[in-house]
Amino acid sequence: MSAALVGTDRRPVPGGRPPGGADTPVAPPVELLEQAAVQVIRARAGQRPQRGRPLPPAPQEIRPLVGRAAAVRLERILAGEQGRLLPEWLEIAAERGARVPARLIPKLLDLGARDQSIRVHLGVLTGTRGRWLAGLNSAWSYLRDEPTGGAGAAEMWEFGTSGDRRAHLAALRARDPEAARELLAVGWDKETPEDRAVFTRILADGLTMADEPFLEAALDDRRREVRQAAADLLTRLPESRLGTRMTERAGRLLVRDGDRLQARPPKACDSRMERDGVRARPPAGSGQRGWWLQQVVAHTPLTFWPEHFGLSPAEITAMEVGDWAREVRMGWTRAAILQRDAVWARALVEVEPLTDLLAILPPAEQSRIAAEYVRRHPVDGQMIMMLGGIPRPWGMPLARAVLDKIAGVATAQPWNAGELARLAGERFDASAHGQVARLSDLPEVHEVTATLRFRHEMARELLGDAPEKRRTDDGHGTAGETGGPLGEEDK
Amino acid sequence: MLALAPDAASQKGATGVSSPAKWSAHGVTPEVLWGECKGSGSKPYRACVDLSEPAYRCSCPSRKFPCKHALGLLLLWSADGVPAADEPADWAAEWMDQRRDRAEKQSSRLAAAQEKAARAATPEGVEPQTGAAPDRRSAQREQRVTAGLSELERWLADQIAQGIADARRTGPAEWDALAKRMVDAQVPGMAGTFTRLSGVLRDEDWPGRLLGEYALVHLLAVAHRRTAGLPHALGETVRSRVGFPVAREDVLASPAVRDRWDVIGSRDEEQDRLVARRVWLRGRETGRAALVLSFAPVGQALDASLVNGTTVDAELAFYPGAAPLRALVARRHGGLHAGPPPGLSAAETPGLLAGVLAEDPWTDSWPVVLSGVVPANDGGWLLADPGLQDSGSDDEDGSEVSGMRLDPAVGTPWRLLAVSGGHPVTVACEWTPRGLWPLKTWDEEGQVVVL
Repeated sequence: MSAALVGTDRRPVPGGRPPGGADTPVAPPVELLEQAAVQVIRARAGQRPQRGRPLPPAPQEIRPLVGRAAAVRLERILAGEQGRLLPEWLEIAAERGARVPARLIPKLLDLGARDQSIRVHLGVLTGTRGRWLAGLNSAWSYLRDEPTGGAGAAEMWEFGTSGDRRAHLAALRARDPEAARELLAVGWDKETPEDRAVFTRILADGLTMADEPFLEAALDDRRREVRQAAADLLTRLPESRLGTRMTERAGRLLVRDGDRLQARPPKACDSRMERDGVRARPPAGSGQRGWWLQQVVAHTPLTFWPEHFGLSPAEITAMEVGDWAREVRMGWTRAAILQRDAVWARALVEVEPLTDLLAILPPAEQSRIAAEYVRRHPVDGQMIMMLGGIPRPWGMPLARAVLDKIAGVATAQPWNAGELARLAGERFDASAHGQVARLSDLPEVHEVTATLRFRHEMARELLGDAPEKRRTDDGHGTAGETGGPLGEEDK
Repeated sequence: MLALAPDAASQKGATGVSSPAKWSAHGVTPEVLWGECKGSGSKPYRACVDLSEPAYRCSCPSRKFPCKHALGLLLLWSADGVPAADEPADWAAEWMDQRRDRAEKQSSRLAAAQEKAARAATPEGVEPQTGAAPDRRSAQREQRVTAGLSELERWLADQIAQGIADARRTGPAEWDALAKRMVDAQVPGMAGTFTRLSGVLRDEDWPGRLLGEYALVHLLAVAHRRTAGLPHALGETVRSRVGFPVAREDVLASPAVRDRWDVIGSRDEEQDRLVARRVWLRGRETGRAALVLSFAPVGQALDASLVNGTTVDAELAFYPGAAPLRALVARRHGGLHAGPPPGLSAAETPGLLAGVLAEDPWTDSWPVVLSGVVPANDGGWLLADPGLQDSGSDDEDGSEVSGMRLDPAVGTPWRLLAVSGGHPVTVACEWTPRGLWPLKTWDEEGQVVVL
C-alpha cells in the first residue's frame, strides 16, 4: 500500500521479484497492480460471516392490525398526500384501539419526535413493536411517556410508563374522585416534580371542596409548576381558602364607580400573594403593577364579581375600566379559561373572539358564534386563527358561513380563500362531501370536496363499517340527496 | 397502487381524478379495467389498464406513463368504485386485441430468431457473418478498443510508479479526461468506471479502495489483451465489461430460462440525462439471479412492467458471460401472488458469492435473498442466522450469532428492524463489495415491504 501511495519509483514492491532477476521481467507497477487485483478479489470472494449480537425479540402484539386499505391510506398520508389529515387518521385509529403495520412505525416515531401533538396516539398505535424500537433509538424515547391504552389494573400505577400512570389516574378520577386523590396522596413525596404537576392537573376532573386541603397543601410544593397547577384549580372553588384570600384582594383592586369600574393595581407583591400563584416577575415588556393586577383578577373566582358589582357578567365586561382596561380584561379572560366558565366566556367572546374562550362553550354554540363572526368580518389572520382553533366536525351554520366566505373572497383574495378551503376540508363533516361538491364550481370548493371525500373514505376504512350505500349514476353519494347534514339548517 | 406512479406529481394528480364523479362508462373484467374521464376538453379521456401486466393506455396527451387517468382509475377500482362487467367496452376490447396481436407477433419473431440461431449452431449452418461492411466497422472498433486499453494500461502503470497519494487533488479531473478518451476509444464500460471513481474518494480508506479499483481495471485491460487464451464464457464477460454491445436479437435467440421470478428490488439511477432502471429478479425454481435494465430520457416513464414485490412467470434470456446476470424478458406468462421467496441462510451466502466472483471477478453487484435471518449488531449491522437459543432462558448476554454485514452507508435499517422486531425475516438484498444493501422484506402478513 505504501508503495502505491508514494510510487514504485521510490519504494520497491514488497515481495516483488528483483528487477531483471526473473525469467519474464515485469515492471514494478504492473507487479503491484497484479498483486492488488489478486488481493481485492480474494477479499471480496472470501467474505466470511461476522459475529454480532442479536436483538432481544420484541414481545407479542396485543392489538389488532388496522385494515389493509386503512394502512395504505396512512402510507399515502405519510408520503405527503393530504398530510394535514394525519392527526385525524391517528385519532380515529387510536380510538379503535388498533395498531399500524410495523413498516410504518419508524416514520411515525420520527414525526412524533418533531410534533408533540401526535404523540398521545402513538403509544397505542405503534404497539409493543413501537416501544421495542423506541428502546433502540434515543430520539424516540418520548414514547415511554405515552399511554399504551392497557387495562386500568393496579400494576399499571405501580409499573406502567409515566403516560400509563397518567391514564390510570385519570380513569380512576373519572370513576371515583376520592379514591384517585387518596391514591395520589400515598406516594406523593416520591413522585417526580413533572409527574406531580401533571397529576395535580388531572384532579381538575370532578373537582370538589373535598380536594381543597390536598391542593392547599400543594401550594407549598418545592416546584413552581405544581404550585401553579394547585392555585389554578383552587380558583375554581369559590369557598376554598385561596378563593377567599383572592376575593379579598380583588375587592380592593377593582371597584365600581357609578357606570364605570376603577382599578387600583397593587403596589407590591408579597410572599402570600406569591404562594397563591401570583408571579412577582412580569414577562418582558409588561409593567409590574399591571401584571400583578391581571394575575389577581385571573385567580379570583368569577362568581365574586356579579355580587361585588351588582351586575351581570355581560354588563361587567361591557363597562369602561379606564387605564387598566387591558389588564383587567386579560385577567377575566384567563379566569374564564381556568375556571371553564361558559357565562363569562360568552360575555368576553363578544369583545374578542379568542379560540380558548370559544373552546369552553358547547360545540353548537361555538359553531354559531364563529359563524356570526365569519359573516360579519373580513377574512384576516385573526379569523383564520380562530377557525383553526375550532375542532372538527364543524356545525352546519359555520360550514355554511365559511363556504359563503370562500365564494366571496375567491377572486379578490385567493390566498385567504385557499386557507379557508383547507380548513373547511379538514373540519367539515366529511359525509357531506357529495353535497358540497354540488354547491359551487370554484376550484377552492373542489379542493374542499376532494379533502372531504378523502376523509370520508379514511373514516370508513378505519371504522370498518359496511361500505357506503350504492353510488348513484351521477357518481355522488346518496348521503346528500335527501337533505344531508348541510341541508338540515337550510330553511 | 400509487407505487406505480412515475413521480409525486402524478400521484397527486391521480388522487384528484380518482373521484367517482369524474368517471363514466367505466367497468372492469378480470383482464381489463376501463373508463372515460372528464377532462378539460369536450371529449372525455379514455383510459384502460391491462390488469395482467399491468399495461396502460390513455387517450390523454400526457407524456407521463402511466398517466394520472390510468392511475386514478386504478385507485377508484381499488376502492371498489368500478362496477364489474361481463364484456369490456368496444374500444377497450379493441386495445386488448391489438396487444394480443403484438404479443403474438413478438413471440413468433422470437421463435424465428431462435430457430435461426439453432440452424447457425449446426455444422451445416450458414456462415453467420453477413456482408463485408459491418465486418470492417467491427474490425475498426476492435482496433480502437485495443489501442485505448493499452493506453490505459500505460496510464495505470504511470500512476502506480508515481504514487496515488495525490489522487484526491488531481484524480477527478484526470478521470474525467480519461473517461472521455475511453468513450472515443469505444470502451464505454471503462468510461463508466472512471466517471464513478470520484465516489471512492469519499471513503475513509480511499487509497485502499482506489488501488483496488485501479487493479481491477488493469486486470480487465490485460484480460482483454489475452482474450484469445481465455475460456469462451469468460471472454464474453470481458467483452461485455469492456463495453462491446450485444444485440437484443442475439440475446433473445439464446435459450430462455423459464421460472417464477420474484421481482426483489429496483433502483433508478440518472446518468447523462438518461435514467437507468435496474430491476433485480430471482427465480424460485432455478435460484438464478437476473438483472433487467431499461433506459429512458429524464422525465419520461421507464418500463414499469416488472412491479417491485410481485412474482412473474416468465422466460428470461441472459446476456452471455461467465456469471450471467443481465437478462431480457423473452416471454411473459402471467403474474402470481406468491409471498416471500425462498432464500439462503447467512452462512450459505458467502459460498454463493465466492462462486459468482470466481466466474466473474469484476462483479460488484449481485442480488441475494436471505431467509430466516435476524438483524444483529456489532457496531455496524449484520443479517445473521439466529443462534440456537432456547426461548425459555432470558440470558441477557445471549449467545452471539454470525451473519453478513450491511453496507455501513445504509446506517441503521430502521424499517427492517421494525418489521423484524428481532424475529427471523426474509430479506432481499443487493450484495456489493462494501456489504449488503437491503432492498425489501416481508411482514407478518406476507406483505412485501420496500426498504
